[in-house]
Amino acid sequence: MKIECQINGEARSFEADPEMPLLWALRDLLGLPGAKYGCGISACGTCTVHLDGAPVRSCVVPVATVAGKRITTIEGLGGEHPVQQAWIELQVPQCGYCQCGQVMQAAALLARNPSPSREQVREGMTGVLCRCGTYPRIEAAVLRAAELSRAKESQS
Amino acid sequence: MIDRRQFLAGSGGLLVALTVPLHAACSTQSRPAGPGNVTAYLGVGADGTVTLYSPTTEMGQGTHTGHAVIVADELGVPIERVRVETAEPSDPFRRNGSMSSGGSWGVRGWHEPLRKAAAQAREMLTAAAAQQLGVPAGELAVEAAEVVHAASGRRLAFAALVADAATMTPPAEPRLLPASSRRHVGHKVPRVDIPAKVRGEPVFASDVVRPGMVYACARLSPVFGAELESMDPAPALAIPGVQRVIPIPGGAAVVAGDSWSAIRGAEALAIRFRATAHDKLDSATISRQMRAGLDADARAIEARNDGDVAATFAAAAGTFEAVYEAPYLSHAPMEPWTCTLELDADGVLHLWAPSQAQDRFRDAAAQASGLPPERIRIHTTLLGGGFGRRLGSDGVPGAVRTAMELQRPVKFFWRREDEMAQGWYRPAQVARLRAARDAEGRVTAISIRTAGPALGASFSPSGLPEGQLDGSSVQCLRDTRYRTGAYRVDWVRVDQPVPMAPWRAVGATQNGYFLECFLDELARALAKDPWQLRRELLAHDARALNVIDTVAKAAGWGTPLPAGRARGMAYVESYGSLCAEVAEVSLRNGRPFVHRVVCALDCGSVVLPDGVRSQVEGGIVQGLSAALREQVRIADGGAADDNFDTYRLLRIADSPESIETVIIESGEAMGGVGEPPLPPIAPAVANALFALTGKPVRRLPLSETAWT
Repeated sequence: MKIECQINGEARSFEADPEMPLLWALRDLLGLPGAKYGCGISACGTCTVHLDGAPVRSCVVPVATVAGKRITTIEGLGGEHPVQQAWIELQVPQCGYCQCGQVMQAAALLARNPSPSREQVREGMTGVLCRCGTYPRIEAAVLRAAELSRAKESQS
Repeated sequence: MIDRRQFLAGSGGLLVALTVPLHAACSTQSRPAGPGNVTAYLGVGADGTVTLYSPTTEMGQGTHTGHAVIVADELGVPIERVRVETAEPSDPFRRNGSMSSGGSWGVRGWHEPLRKAAAQAREMLTAAAAQQLGVPAGELAVEAAEVVHAASGRRLAFAALVADAATMTPPAEPRLLPASSRRHVGHKVPRVDIPAKVRGEPVFASDVVRPGMVYACARLSPVFGAELESMDPAPALAIPGVQRVIPIPGGAAVVAGDSWSAIRGAEALAIRFRATAHDKLDSATISRQMRAGLDADARAIEARNDGDVAATFAAAAGTFEAVYEAPYLSHAPMEPWTCTLELDADGVLHLWAPSQAQDRFRDAAAQASGLPPERIRIHTTLLGGGFGRRLGSDGVPGAVRTAMELQRPVKFFWRREDEMAQGWYRPAQVARLRAARDAEGRVTAISIRTAGPALGASFSPSGLPEGQLDGSSVQCLRDTRYRTGAYRVDWVRVDQPVPMAPWRAVGATQNGYFLECFLDELARALAKDPWQLRRELLAHDARALNVIDTVAKAAGWGTPLPAGRARGMAYVESYGSLCAEVAEVSLRNGRPFVHRVVCALDCGSVVLPDGVRSQVEGGIVQGLSAALREQVRIADGGAADDNFDTYRLLRIADSPESIETVIIESGEAMGGVGEPPLPPIAPAVANALFALTGKPVRRLPLSETAWT
């Protein structure tokens, strides 16, 4: 079927099997490989993208359900997002495979709650697995990104 | 991912390698020998960019940055000018005849060769500048990718010197710059790969796209090692988008125009596998067989025997004994096996592969394709996690057979379920440990028997002959620094049909757990503090003593804790580094929770301090994940756990609240860093739980024990 939606601020239109998970449409049909395949059962969060601003596991979201919606992937986050800045500052990634999912989850978390507590960060980030074990830095970087966001807010 | 050929073309043919052997060696992939290849590691482009051909795979451990800073300092260039890629297999990049990344060898093993190569390059560029300027080389210095003549103020960029330098013979013994000149090594330097990784730009094998590429998803046997018996491709071919079904070793590949259709096709395929002798194998059977092995005296292979163990036990004032068991573990890298392949017009088969073992991959590809090895090119992509899993080339034959059959570019991949169920696990193992003491409560003997499948038999291409010792099965036991009086270690081989591979820190993971938990139980039996018992057993070894004393001090060993909390300690040496950890635990909702971990790591000397910390944190988190909940249960001859719903990795909410690292630069030989921080965490946590509850942990994971 023909799917029309907005991806990273652009109107996109593509043909796909309605059951195809968004992940595979992004990666194979739309040239956006930032979201990764990890489990296919929404257990690891490596494929996390934003759907109308909310974090979703794109490996289990059929493309038919995204018609008319706004999707943001790591490619559309801008590169200078406070989460991305904090991730570099605190040298979070190791292998990097899960990190697009981590960054997207963190960006969504901060959009909803600009000043999360440490416990809220641990709770809010717990859906995204990291096998390299970067959790201590993820936790610190989300809190740092919140600081950076607030500093940016108060400047503007 | 830039292919070297494209890179050369893309730079307009201006890239000049400093040394001719580099590109000859890399592009022909022959196995040239000889000292002339020593500068094979470095190229300087006409724009002054230094390309470093790293012998290692970047899988998150940070060796590409480690190599870049070593070269930057010795060559006199800013780190921003150094570009790193993994080399293709040839002699300069091999160790013991094979190119691979393992054994925490990346920095400690390649530090000196890369430093020398950079010093050679520096001297060649300087010699070229001396000729051009008509001044003695001794009056020149390098600075910021330029050769500088201070007396006249003249400067020549490396780029202007490369063509001349490339014609020179590398000096055999270049002068190494003093440590005082280092601007990167030993300092906090940002990793070269991180900016791209937070923007979604890095290219993993699964991200490689080739023109006209199709997608192939494997359907593999759920029983270890079972071969295809028959299949009906019709249900797969009925899925829209599915183009072909191709038999491959251990199953079939379903080819489609996109990944999703290939997955659906693979799942729809009607397929039967041949019966095996182990179709009913389960975990309980394996456990029983391993435990029976503990009593098989006649089959025990000795690994170490100091003093008279039998006589010491006979004369003992008391003895203590315990049996421990560790399960199979999956590496579970976040990226399931994926390899992109293309047979080019010249008949060369290219693999964009997540490889920790390039020669092994190349040989596997040559065998599966029938092509000579020189017609195989291995382009190592970034890895979405390795941990030893990508040392195995088991995914290569199916990928190559599919590509050869299709004769067009293909992205070949496994589903998570196949990644996890094909095996290649950390071995399961059991151990019986016995100690003897004298009337004064001193340990007079320890005797250890481990029993289980031989990693070497499963993973080594040549197998392991009966009667030979499997090194992994006694790793860090046979070479321990503890002195216990009489000491004996032996091992009983109990083969299983479950494929195994080195898993981060390998045999130190289970053996470190066995010995370190035993010591805490022994300490309790002797009414001693666990730290003090270790101090007694290490009293002769100042370096080891310093490591356990450092961690005890940093962790506040012996100081009061809030009610319901306890500390545990463990010390394990592996891969050239000594590592001790103290964990602080409590029970939260009836389950173990780790509040704080303190680690003291003596790795001799450090190239990237923040990189070391990162590896310590990662090793502790991964080791804790395994300790708390990980195990691959075996049922019906295969894995009962094949995805993250039941193979439960640690999540951030359950990860330690704090990890503190004390790096000890003892000045001893540089040790490894990627693996050594992992083994102590499981016994440290288990010992803390033992201290808290009085329940010894005789079996991992910890979730197998009822804590409340």
